[in-house]
Amino acid sequence: MLNLRIMAPNRIVWNSDIQEIILSTNSGQIGILPNHASVLTALDIGIVKIRLNDQWSTMALMGGFAMIDNNNLTILVNDAEKASEIDYQEAQETFQKAKTNLEEAEGNKKKEIEALLVFKRAKARLEAINMASKL
Amino acid sequence: MASGSARRAGARLTNLLYGSINSSTPATAASWTQTGLAAGELAPFGARMASNQIVRNRMKSVKSIQKITKAMKMVAASKLRGIQGKTEDSRGLWQPFTALLGDAPGVDVKKKVILTLSSDKGLCGGINSTSVKFSKALMRLTAASGPDKEASYIVIGEKGKAQLQRDSRKNIKMFITETQKLPINFSLASTLTDEILRTVQFDAIHLVFNKFQTVVSYLPTVATILSPETMANGVETGKMSDLSNYEIEGSETQAEVLQNLSEFQFASVLYNAMLENACSEMGARMSAMDNSAKNASDMLDRLTLSYNRSRQAQITTELIEIISGAAALEAS
Repeated sequence: MLNLRIMAPNRIVWNSDIQEIILSTNSGQIGILPNHASVLTALDIGIVKIRLNDQWSTMALMGGFAMIDNNNLTILVNDAEKASEIDYQEAQETFQKAKTNLEEAEGNKKKEIEALLVFKRAKARLEAINMASKL
Repeated sequence: MASGSARRAGARLTNLLYGSINSSTPATAASWTQTGLAAGELAPFGARMASNQIVRNRMKSVKSIQKITKAMKMVAASKLRGIQGKTEDSRGLWQPFTALLGDAPGVDVKKKVILTLSSDKGLCGGINSTSVKFSKALMRLTAASGPDKEASYIVIGEKGKAQLQRDSRKNIKMFITETQKLPINFSLASTLTDEILRTVQFDAIHLVFNKFQTVVSYLPTVATILSPETMANGVETGKMSDLSNYEIEGSETQAEVLQNLSEFQFASVLYNAMLENACSEMGARMSAMDNSAKNASDMLDRLTLSYNRSRQAQITTELIEIISGAAALEAS
C-alpha cells in the first residue's frame, strides 16, 4: 500500500493509502506500485489515475512534482480537480473556448504561451471526466 | 475679601506661568502650552475659563482616538481570522521541500540575496523593525564571512523599504510595494517569483519574515532557497544526500527538473512567507491598537478628573465672589 499525499498551495487534495497510481510526466506516463524505487519527477498538466479498493478514480493536475520514497508518495501541484467535481458540459465549453483562443493567438508569442496553458488545463479536465465516465 | 481672593488666584496663575511648566499635571501643563504662550508670558486674566474649554476639546479628541483605535483593532481581528486558515493550509506545501532538500541558512555561496518581507501600512507594532534588524544582521554576517561574498536586498513592502533605504540604499536591488491591496494567492507568489528570478542573479536567497504563532507572539524566521546550480552542485558533491537518493525523471535533463523544482519551491515558500507575515502583521496591529485604546481611556480618566477639579474650583470662586459681594453690601 502506498501512502499518497497530494497538496495544492491552498489545500490538501488527497491524504490516504492507495494501491496503485498512474502519473503523466513530461516524458510519458509512469505507473507506481508499492516498493517502487525512489523517484523525483516533474509532472505535466494532465491526469492522474488512482486505484483504491480496486476502484479507479481520476484527477486533473495542473503541473507540479511527484516524489516517491519508501512507499510514501508526495505530489505537489499548482492546482488539482477531482473528476467527480467537474461538470461535463462546462468542461466541454471551456475546452472549446480555449481551443479557439489558442488558434487565434497564433503569432503573438506571449498570448500563445498563455493560451496554450489554458488549453492544456481545459484539455486535462475534459480528459479526466471522459476517463472517469469510461471506467 | 473678593480682591484678596482674586489676588491669591492671580498669584497662583503667575506661579504656574513663570514656574516650571511640567510641575502640574500633564493635562493642565498641556493646556498652558496650547494657549500659545511661551514660557514667561502672562496670560489674560480669564485664562482659567479658557483652560476648561481646552481640556474639554482635548477630552473629545482623546475619546475619538479611543474609538478609532478600537475599530482598527476589530478590523485587524476580522482580517486575521480570514487569512489564518489559508496560512495553516499553505504550511503543508513547503514542508516536503524542506524534508527533501534541507534548509541551509549557513550555506557557503558567493552571491546571496536577502528578501525582506514587510508591511505597507504602519501602526503594526515591531514586526517591520524586527525583519529589518534581522536582514541587516544577515548582511553583516555575509560581509564578514569572506571578501568575495556579496549580498544584496530585495524588499517587499513600503515600511521595510523606508527603513532599509536610510542606510543601505545602494544595496537594494529591487523593491516591490503595494502588494497588500491584492489578495494573497499562489498566482501572486508565482508572478513575484518570476519577476525576481528574471531581475536578480543569486546563488542562494534568504527570505526574512515573521512566522505567525499566536495573536500576541510571532517568530522572526529565515527560509533559505538555493538556486538550481547550487542544488546541482550539492547533489554532485554528496552534500544533499537525500536528493541524490532519488532517480530524477520527467524531463530531458536533470538540470531542467532541478530548475523547475527550485522555482516551485521558491514560489511555495514565498506564498507561505507572505501569508505568515500578513498574519503576524494583523496580530501585532491588534495588540498595538488594543494598547493604544487602553492608553486613551487612561488619559481620558485623568483628563476628566482634572476637568472636574478645575470646574469645581471655578464654581467655588464664583460663589465666594458672590457671597463676599453680598456680605460687603450688607455690611455697608
